[in-house]
Amino acid sequence: MVMNIITSILVMSGMVALGFAIGMLFNGIARKVVARIHNRVGPPVYQGYIDVFKLFSKKTNISHGWIFDLAALFSVGGIALTFLFLPVAGVSMLSGEGDLFLILYLIAIPALGFALGAGASGNPNAAVGMMRALMMMLAYELPIAMVIVAMMVYYNTTSLAGIVAMQSNLKWAIGIPPFLIGALVADMALQGMLMEKPFDIPLAPHEIATGPLVEFGGKHLGSIILYKMMGTVVETTLFVDLFLGGGVVLNVNQFGWFAYLVNFIVWFVLILVVFLIAVIINAVFPRFRIEQALKFYWKYDALVALFILFWIFSGVMV
Amino acid sequence: MLVEIFITMLILALVAAALNKYPKISGIVTFFASLIPFLVVISWSQDIGLSFPQFLKFFTLEKSLNYNIGIATFMLKITPLGWFFLLLLASAFPMAILFSITFIKKNAGGFYAAMITSMIGSMGILLAQDILSFYMFWEIMSWSILALVMRSHDKKAIMSYLSFGVLSAMLILLGIMLLYSETGTFVFSEMGFMANNTTLIALSLLVSGFAVKGVLVPMHVWAPYVYSRSEEPFVAFLSGGLSKLGYFAMILFMYSVVGISVLNSWGTFRDVSIFGYTLAFIGALTAFIGTVLAIMQDDLRKLLAYSSIGQLGYIAIGIGIGTPLAMTGALFQALNHTFFKSALFLAAGAVYYRTGKWKISELGGLGYKMPFTFLAVLFAIFALAGIPITSGFAAKWLLYEAAIQKKFLFITPIMLIAGVGAFLYSYKILYGVFLGEPRHNVKEAPLSQLAAMWLLVLPLIIFLIFPGWFVDLTSPILKWYGLMPISHTPYTITTSLAAYNTLAVILALIGGLILAFALYFSKPQKVVPHTDNYLAGEPPELYEHISMHAASKYYEPFDEVFYPFFKRGAEMCWMAILKFVKILGEGARAIYTGIVNDYSIYILIFFLLLVGWWLIW
Repeated sequence: MVMNIITSILVMSGMVALGFAIGMLFNGIARKVVARIHNRVGPPVYQGYIDVFKLFSKKTNISHGWIFDLAALFSVGGIALTFLFLPVAGVSMLSGEGDLFLILYLIAIPALGFALGAGASGNPNAAVGMMRALMMMLAYELPIAMVIVAMMVYYNTTSLAGIVAMQSNLKWAIGIPPFLIGALVADMALQGMLMEKPFDIPLAPHEIATGPLVEFGGKHLGSIILYKMMGTVVETTLFVDLFLGGGVVLNVNQFGWFAYLVNFIVWFVLILVVFLIAVIINAVFPRFRIEQALKFYWKYDALVALFILFWIFSGVMV
Repeated sequence: MLVEIFITMLILALVAAALNKYPKISGIVTFFASLIPFLVVISWSQDIGLSFPQFLKFFTLEKSLNYNIGIATFMLKITPLGWFFLLLLASAFPMAILFSITFIKKNAGGFYAAMITSMIGSMGILLAQDILSFYMFWEIMSWSILALVMRSHDKKAIMSYLSFGVLSAMLILLGIMLLYSETGTFVFSEMGFMANNTTLIALSLLVSGFAVKGVLVPMHVWAPYVYSRSEEPFVAFLSGGLSKLGYFAMILFMYSVVGISVLNSWGTFRDVSIFGYTLAFIGALTAFIGTVLAIMQDDLRKLLAYSSIGQLGYIAIGIGIGTPLAMTGALFQALNHTFFKSALFLAAGAVYYRTGKWKISELGGLGYKMPFTFLAVLFAIFALAGIPITSGFAAKWLLYEAAIQKKFLFITPIMLIAGVGAFLYSYKILYGVFLGEPRHNVKEAPLSQLAAMWLLVLPLIIFLIFPGWFVDLTSPILKWYGLMPISHTPYTITTSLAAYNTLAVILALIGGLILAFALYFSKPQKVVPHTDNYLAGEPPELYEHISMHAASKYYEPFDEVFYPFFKRGAEMCWMAILKFVKILGEGARAIYTGIVNDYSIYILIFFLLLVGWWLIW
């Protein structure tokens, strides 16, 4: 009993560490890829590690009071918490203890913590950026909520681990016609979730000085950047779990540790591909204004999602 | 014993009114009076089948009371449903009074007397076992609310409450008359129903009458005016406590009086009655519209009023679906709403008490000045937005699960998006009032106000950790309606679709926070004021006279997108009806010319008609 708990705590700590490591790596990859598309040399792939290490070893750290510090605490703590509730490469850490609705609300904990810190800094740029970030959230949440509800009804479970289990033996959701379209809808929403162009107006470095991030520096910025990097892993994993079977290709009961290894590699490749699609779109697009983004998601993306809902609805009725 | 309790409260109301000149003493007397319902409800806990410890039995109370007045018998009895809602009201009521001790200064005696009368009315409604006593107590409650609304001296608030109150009373009365003509009895338990159209019409009238108290769209028009103009302790009780009576009455009449089999006989959709489905759909619409309108508001009280409308919509969804999951979710949402909305309205009152301002754009930076108020608001907002750090999430989760279980593909996304919209207006409160540029040099709120807010936040934290305790609390109600209580342990709730383990969430959060703390304490830090900010190279002196608080028109792009859709709201619709009634009234009034000759001609015409009719017949 005690051994089990210690083992699971160790496994979860290791997974969180892996998540952070992959997040930092992805940051470097994204910068390199964008630089190559722009015909620049770009920073090395390990630049993410250098950045985080540098920020946490700064000597002067400026805070704006204890509410400001909540951002650093809740952003890292909250995103680690969210990661634990996702099934990663078929390993369901805590995903049996909660479901997809819980994950959708858990993602809000680090975001809200970050928002508290940004607001507490008292910089108007931060407030404007936060307003845009929240509106962006409202915008992309409608299409993705519709697709997720359609999937829940189709698979008759709200558990993400359950949805992944239903897609075992390579019966990926993307192979079902309504969910192929659903994956496209969700990929557009993912673009906003990751705050990549054309939906990066909340940060908009040239306009509002990176918005919510403007007052953060030193270890505070380090925490926020860790949250953002882990956020990319969490969001791409969510996408892969929903549409690409969570990267599970081999049955663990049948192949043992070798299955874990293969599954992790497949999961890593899949989230990298999903992330690279977002990065490549990011590299070539200008940005939408916030009301344009809202209209895009609620008019076009949500309309397609509504079509999927009707498709599933007609299936349920029969 | 029950009569004595009513009489004691009435006497204490008179004492409070008599002590009008000494607001604090009057408040303290009322506070003791307000504890009576709470002690009563705890004493009843064993009678409805809950295993509360014996020492919590303060009174030995009879379970029922019949009071004969010759032509009819008033029947009062405690039922599980009434007990649960009485628990909510009786917990929120003392907190509102505790807050008012320091808040209400002008004509306090009248305020306290009316508050106690509204509580007496509510107790009567929750205990009523026949239509007559139900309606009588309903009117006592409604009129004491009117007395409290009148204190605002705001014509729009008073008129809108009065007109919608009368509309509600008329709808309920019509429904009651139809029910009586159909069954020939006033007693709930003796009513046997036929599944015919008369019952359907009667039930629709009743539910739309109760929807006025429960502020469902399109009956919500009065709420923003009343909530935003009246005194905060009263509004906290009105929104947190009294609005639940509408939902109590809906459950009572839909599932207790008329019954699920009659509801189902009017047609079902995926095993949910069409009647319930319509109610659920209206609830979802209410949640969405309330949320969008809340995002647009600048007045703190109006924002809270619209958010209250939005959150109450969720209860209607649960009642409409009516499965064990949905009912538990609806009752859980009712409990959460009672506590977090009361706390939020009281916090708004505390902010006003210290700063004298209601507009979000004029406030700012109070978080460091009033830290305990801020933390209470933060927890209340976690509950409102459904962040899993308070019990707010469990209620919404149950409702989502219930909707997915019934494969409601269109209601669920509306609920989800209304949930996300709640983040937007929550952040508007947090940023606009408590964060950003400090503009007021004020002290923390007085102790009685802080105590009231924190006592209201406490249950939200307790039921976060032990949602199973809440399910235990509602299982007598579900058994009463012949439904199976949902499977649970103190920490977990399990449905056919998924499970939710609060202990795992809390432990994982603590683990994540340990990691974050380790990173946070790695280096020392220096705290600077907000003036030491990045201002794009401009010297801070330039900004001495310019506000750096960006809260004015905070969601302007959002307003621009949604304003065209909400320009013609429900209020314009009601205004059109009002105009029509006015024209009709003007036409009818034209008959009364005031000239004797005209009246004699009317009499002549009437007489001729009478004679003509007699001749023909």
